[in-house]
Amino acid sequence: MEKIVEVTELVKHYKSVIAVNGISFDVYKGEIFSLVGPNGAGKTTTVEILECLRMPTSGSAYVLGFDVKKEESKIKKRIGVMPQDFNTFERLTVKENVELIAKIYGVKPDIKAVLEELGIWEARDRKFEALSGGMKRRVGVSMALVSDPELLFLDEPTTGLDPQARRETWEVINRLKKMGKTIFLTSHYMEEVEYLSDRAAVIVQGDIIALETVNALISQYGGGVKVNVANGDKKVEGLFTELAETVISNERGVTGTFQTRQQASKALASVYRLSDEYTVDIVEPSMDDVFAQLVGGRVDERGELV
Amino acid sequence: MKRVYAIFTALLKSWLRSKIGIFFSFLFPVMLLIIFSTIFGGAGDTRYTLFVQNFDVENGEPTGLSQGFVDALEATDIFAIQYLDTDVDVSTYVKENPSFNFSYRILVIPKGFEEHAVNKSLSVRMDVTLDTLLLFQEQYAQYMDEADLQQIIEGQTILQQMKTTLPTDLSELVLLTDRGDTAAPAMTSVIYGVVNAFSNTLIGTEDVVAITGEPLEQKELRVVDYYLPGFIAAFIMTNGIIGANTTISEYRRDGQVKRLAATPLPKSSWVLGNILQQAVLAFILTGIMIILGWIIFGVRAFPDIYAILLIFVGAVAFCSVGMVLGGVIKDVEAASGAGNAIAFPMMFLSGAFWPIEMMPEYLQTVAKFLPLHYFHEGLRQLMIFDNPEKSVTAFVILGVFAVVFIAVAFKVTRWKEL
Repeated sequence: MEKIVEVTELVKHYKSVIAVNGISFDVYKGEIFSLVGPNGAGKTTTVEILECLRMPTSGSAYVLGFDVKKEESKIKKRIGVMPQDFNTFERLTVKENVELIAKIYGVKPDIKAVLEELGIWEARDRKFEALSGGMKRRVGVSMALVSDPELLFLDEPTTGLDPQARRETWEVINRLKKMGKTIFLTSHYMEEVEYLSDRAAVIVQGDIIALETVNALISQYGGGVKVNVANGDKKVEGLFTELAETVISNERGVTGTFQTRQQASKALASVYRLSDEYTVDIVEPSMDDVFAQLVGGRVDERGELV
Repeated sequence: MKRVYAIFTALLKSWLRSKIGIFFSFLFPVMLLIIFSTIFGGAGDTRYTLFVQNFDVENGEPTGLSQGFVDALEATDIFAIQYLDTDVDVSTYVKENPSFNFSYRILVIPKGFEEHAVNKSLSVRMDVTLDTLLLFQEQYAQYMDEADLQQIIEGQTILQQMKTTLPTDLSELVLLTDRGDTAAPAMTSVIYGVVNAFSNTLIGTEDVVAITGEPLEQKELRVVDYYLPGFIAAFIMTNGIIGANTTISEYRRDGQVKRLAATPLPKSSWVLGNILQQAVLAFILTGIMIILGWIIFGVRAFPDIYAILLIFVGAVAFCSVGMVLGGVIKDVEAASGAGNAIAFPMMFLSGAFWPIEMMPEYLQTVAKFLPLHYFHEGLRQLMIFDNPEKSVTAFVILGVFAVVFIAVAFKVTRWKEL
């Protein structure tokens, strides 16, 4: 697989603070790669080094084969960027903003096609400041796309959006992948990472503590599939004690955790053999569980570790 | 260059669409113009204010002659006459009514001005008659008979006796002026000229001195014109150091800078685009101000091509300073504070609004280190005195200033965090 980004032992210090502590990873062509972690973990610092907006303290980083320390103009021509808290000229219209970026890149794209792709052609003559949060992000993505880059950096593209706008942005990102773009995403929303990414790196306090495909992360750190029997009784508890890894019995019923889905399915069938009166739910492990397992906490809506 | 132009037009469009921004961008200079023109310009009246206290009154009315004299002064069109009542104590009045746009000059007409003047005139006429009789006597005595000669001598004696009953002292006018009033001697001589013409009229001979108004070959300027170059210079300076500076730090705070830094846009295009946009803005606003000044105050000192060029060089120079401040100071509030801290002292110390000679000597030295000083001096030479050769210093200093600060702005504008 072709490496689009190659990062080796990357370190970034801000005076006495260590923001990035010697991380290494690669990003492959055509994938959605996510850097996931709470606020202050070093996500944006890493992205901004790759975008040539910051100088690394040490280590190396190559983007599309070019050195971020020496070949920034070559990199900048070939990447598309939507920075964190994306903003642009507020009193220019959507179209004017996109055209400005096109002029800077010296390209003459089919702006109508770009805006239609993102569903904002109808809003082309509206001022940026008058748009909703979700629309603004779509403008940001269209500005990143206008130069037809091979690699897109989307730094927390859905932070602060309502669930509806977040879902819409996800669809946009999925379409970009289908167009063959490589996407480097940062996020503190586990659901987002799980839904979008091919591979994800969990970064905490400047260190990458896990890097796998999302499925591998979940099966490795997700803690197994849970089967919950809301009206479970002693019989169910007994059954789970035999079959499951762990059993918890509380006011929500009896919950057994199984290593694989097959084991969970078998347990489910056994529960129904006892009686078809039981109310059974299967809870798949998620990136939330991965994160809880790895970091020992969860990330709230604003990205803070709790 | 295409990229500079792209940034320039984006910034200009952005500014043109900010209704509040436009409102305040216009309000500030227009307010300044109105304030300064009203305070210093006396609404376009270029006459000297002269206070007259006339003690020569009869039945509560000024005597015909004293009023005639004041009217004659006013007719010169040099003085704007204001009257003080006779019961006013002059020194108390001046203390209680301090003035900052003129120096007090008070002409006191004494009691008996008319009577003295008439008597004096009579006495002078008698002298003339006596002299005539004497001449007659000396040259034509031999052709006259004794009786006629005797009558002439009797007439002379009667005239001489009558003359002794008339007062011989002059009617004395008093002009009170401030000791530091440099215009006072000139005004005294104008009043003296009027007195002269007035006495001659009274005596009835032809005027020895005539006071007539003759226009001297010169620009017709008003007081407000004198302040206009200082005002333009000060406005362009504040626009650059405060305006450009705050704009640039807001763009950085709000993320537009980061967005552009991630594109292939060179840093220099961003800096130049901003300087150009701010300079053009200052330039347009200056034009509008001059037009408003013309409509409201009848300003006549229109900039010529050199003045326009100097205004543009100045705008670029001060906008570069703004770019440097906005580049060095990260916080928007701190940047605007620093802009104020530099712009306002410079505005007042440079002598933009008053002659530099009014300031203590050490402050005059300070002024000579301020670019604004050369800016408004150069503009004044061009707009008021038509001395393009004397504006060379201003062009050189502001030009060098612009180049140096553009270079520093390139240096300090962060496109990449270290």
